[in-house]
Amino acid sequence: MIKLEHIRRSYVSEDIETTALADINLEIAAGEFVAIMGPSGCGKSTLLNTLGTVDRPTGGHYWFHDSDLMTLNEAGLAQFRAETLGFVFQSFNLIDELTIEENIELGLVYRKANGGNRRKRVVEAMDRVGISHRARHYPNQLSGGQQQRAAIARAIVGDPRMILADEPTGNLDTENGLQVMDILASLNADGATVVMVTHSPSHADMAQRRIDMLDGRVVASAARAI
Amino acid sequence: MNTFSLLRLYRSLTRHKLYSVLNIGSLAVGIAVFLVLGLYVRFETSFEKWLPDHDKIYLVQTIWHIEDSPFNGAFPNTMGGLLEQIREDFPGTVGTRIMPTPINVIRNGVGIEEQGAQVDPEFFDVFALPMVAGNGPATLNSPSGVLIDQDTAEKYFGTLDAVGQTLTLTTGVDGKTGTYTVGGVFQNLPENTDLNFKVLGQLPAVQTAPWWYRWGSTSLFTYLRFPTPAAAQAFNAKLDGFVNRRGMKDLGPETPTKWQQLAVLPITAAHLTPAGGQAASLSQSVIAMGVVGVIALLIAMVNYINLATARAGLRAREVAMSKVLGANRNVLIRQFIGEAVLLVALAALVGLSLAELALPWINAATEMSLAIPYALAVPALAVLALVVGIAAGFYPAVLLARYPAASVLASARAPGGGRAGARVRELLVMFQFALAISFMVGTLVLAAQTAHVRSADVGFKRDGLIVVRSMTQAEPEQIQALTAGWRALPMIHSLTLADNSAGGSGTNNANSIEIPGQPGPGPSLQQIVVGPDFFRTYGARLLAGREFDLAHGADDFANRKDGVPVSIVINRMGASALGFASPEAAVGKTVGKGNRTFTIIGVIDNMRFLSPRDATTATYYSFTARMDEYATATLRYSGDLRTAMDAVKGTWLQVAPQVPFDASSADQRLAELYKSDEQATRLFTIGAVLAVLIGCVGLWGLASFNTVRRVKEIGIRKTLGASTRDIVLLLVGQFLRPVVIANLIAWPLAWVALRNWLAGFSDPVVLSPLYFVAASVLALLIAALTVSVQSLRAARAIPAWALRHD
Ligand SMILES: Nc1ncnc2c1ncn2[C@@H]1O[C@H](COP(=O)(O)OP(=O)(O)O)[C@@H](O)[C@H]1O
Ligand SMILES: [Mg+2]
Repeated sequence: MIKLEHIRRSYVSEDIETTALADINLEIAAGEFVAIMGPSGCGKSTLLNTLGTVDRPTGGHYWFHDSDLMTLNEAGLAQFRAETLGFVFQSFNLIDELTIEENIELGLVYRKANGGNRRKRVVEAMDRVGISHRARHYPNQLSGGQQQRAAIARAIVGDPRMILADEPTGNLDTENGLQVMDILASLNADGATVVMVTHSPSHADMAQRRIDMLDGRVVASAARAI
Repeated sequence: MNTFSLLRLYRSLTRHKLYSVLNIGSLAVGIAVFLVLGLYVRFETSFEKWLPDHDKIYLVQTIWHIEDSPFNGAFPNTMGGLLEQIREDFPGTVGTRIMPTPINVIRNGVGIEEQGAQVDPEFFDVFALPMVAGNGPATLNSPSGVLIDQDTAEKYFGTLDAVGQTLTLTTGVDGKTGTYTVGGVFQNLPENTDLNFKVLGQLPAVQTAPWWYRWGSTSLFTYLRFPTPAAAQAFNAKLDGFVNRRGMKDLGPETPTKWQQLAVLPITAAHLTPAGGQAASLSQSVIAMGVVGVIALLIAMVNYINLATARAGLRAREVAMSKVLGANRNVLIRQFIGEAVLLVALAALVGLSLAELALPWINAATEMSLAIPYALAVPALAVLALVVGIAAGFYPAVLLARYPAASVLASARAPGGGRAGARVRELLVMFQFALAISFMVGTLVLAAQTAHVRSADVGFKRDGLIVVRSMTQAEPEQIQALTAGWRALPMIHSLTLADNSAGGSGTNNANSIEIPGQPGPGPSLQQIVVGPDFFRTYGARLLAGREFDLAHGADDFANRKDGVPVSIVINRMGASALGFASPEAAVGKTVGKGNRTFTIIGVIDNMRFLSPRDATTATYYSFTARMDEYATATLRYSGDLRTAMDAVKGTWLQVAPQVPFDASSADQRLAELYKSDEQATRLFTIGAVLAVLIGCVGLWGLASFNTVRRVKEIGIRKTLGASTRDIVLLLVGQFLRPVVIANLIAWPLAWVALRNWLAGFSDPVVLSPLYFVAASVLALLIAALTVSVQSLRAARAIPAWALRHD
């Protein structure tokens, strides 16, 4: 489904060039559950952002199915994100001024084809992550685990084909971390492609494939041996 | 505050340079607007307050109630002999009369006009003018003594010590020339006074003019002195009885107070009290300026508090860190308030400088001479700095000091005071824009009205006219010679003499004209006596009938045989006042009775000689070829005004060198009458533009703050598929909401205020909805532009960058 060819990303600031990604070549099949690991600063988030089209590579090609995403304009990419992707972040990134319900609904607002079933989908998403009883609360009234589950609900409410999760368990305790992993696994079981950055080997073991990165390069890519 | 917190403040200011400039700058501009307009209000309300014991001095007003008269209302002048009769009836009353009179100082055979006044010897009992040299009261006891002000002493004698010097003067009262001895020099009168004399002489105790004791006439100003306001009140209460007793002679045996009353007015209130039926335009514009000033300051303060509060939210992390490092709440609160006070003080200083820089400019635009009284301004600004500083610092201080340090992180939006804070800020923006939009509507309407007044049809051709006012002082033979001389000038096409002229100088007489077959005295019409060529010179429009004609010997009322009606021309208003359905219907009709029986020979369109705030009056014109007493001359010229004026003056200097030449174009004279409104419009516009500017800066700052605060949220929305367009619409839409609501508040506000203002004009512009729509569209455009620039920048940023942002 996804094919990255010679993807590079470098930052230039005050004459210093930082290379976050150096020649990434990667394929991800539809329905896969991939874990990305590596030391801090090796480019994991940059890679994930590139996959999510919220960062623009300096060079290379990004094929999604048969279309070259590098040729899409800003509006085209926005539409691609709205219809295809769901994001989950380490720091939840819920909007404080909106209730949990409204935050989740935001995952549908920018989709063109919604139909009249917005409410129903929001309720389904909340049920799926077990956050329905907190629908009218504001994010700062929730525990970290609840907030992350709400964030996942927001990511999946639009029924995306691919979920990108950047250290989704990084701010959570073991128990809440496991809950989140269970949700991701069940989403994957239902057919979604999941790409997840993690520092936890045990969480990485729940994925089908593990990609190791170092200094902006993929150093190993191995399917889990079962 | 210690050096460390000062350093931190300095860093934070320089780090957000633009923000700091806007924040401090807009408050400074607000303070400057407030200062300048405050000075104007202080100036206009300070008239005569420089006089020693000004609270004990009262002006006697004459109040007219004559049915249909164009000259009803309270006027600041009285009958000549009034004070003598008051003294007879109320022994012990302290008072003086001031009779303004042009004085010609004759030097080397040429007259130079100075503003003079004749006053009673008791003048100094009421007006204790500070003297520079000589003895005031003693001088006024001598019929040949004069007092002059410093300027005049310097001008004629080159020294302030002019006591004992002599001046050759012609007074406008009797026209006689004599030699007077300077008995004293008084300090120049300040700007904030309506007493405008430079030369003072004795008012002769014996007056022979028939009108001196005639009730119903007014010729000078009468001032009284009372020890307490209660005494003045008590005196006021006795005035009706006095008028009824004394006025019977001329006003009729039946309650003369039905026609005329007297009242005393504190001299300090006289300046802002309109004369007669005039609208209270001056006091209105003083109030308007005061309101604009206060509102500009208010907007700026709100702006400042708003921005400061908003910005404080961005410092949540700094505060959280300080807490972690052990700072306690009170220290933090003190630090915030200290910073705010310091910044407001800085803004006040900048504002003071701005006002000082702007004053020469404002003074030039308004022809005033305002100056900042530092003894008053500095303490006032210090108080302001404290109040605004504490207000701006307190809320964020308490808010942030209480903000749980732990929750500062892990938040998509930087804390900005939460939902309540956002609501308050939105309300404040709404309030600012409501005022700004009202101001914009006001400015548009004021400008439209001023333009309308300037271009409005005055009923005659206002350009190409010279009015020679000093003609009133010329002798009959001189008038003959002057008119002959002027007629010979190539650029003079026509000239006329009349007892009134464009700009309104002359006599104001009104007479009731009885309508035949109808009971009662009939409507009151203003009378203007004109010489040949009056309507032709002015370019008046004849609506029906004919103009006066020398060929019709009977037109001249001096040639009229007894019992034959006088030929008159009336204006359009006169025709309707007299009950004629059309101008044509009036022609040939006879109105009035007795020796005021008139035949209407023609009707002309209304001619407006006075200010646009004076109502045009129903008028009748009577005609005589022998205009040799108290007539002004009006000349129609072609070509350059300067050339024409020089030629006219040349003739004057040959014929009547001892009478100072006083002439100006009709345009100039009308402009003079329109001046106060144009000044007010200019000041208002300056104030309003600045207020709008401050409002925009506020919106800009708030938008920028809000956008910065929401960078991360924007990133999140983009991961959810929001496009640049979605984001810009979201941000701009959110900001325009308060601006849109502001319109709904602004419209009725502006409408009520402007309807009142326009009511003061006899020919107001229509308060069209276009002004409101234009102002609103303008405000929305400015707001949208202000906000979208920043929104666009934020919306176009790469979302990955936004997601990292905090
Ligand atoms: N906006 C940026 N400007 C400059 N350098 C950046 C920027 N974003 C990331 N980097 C750099 O790129 C490298 C990879 O960052 P990142 O992908 O966030 O690493 P990881 O998620 O693996 O910890 C790091 O060295 C980081 O400092
Ligand atoms: Mg990372």
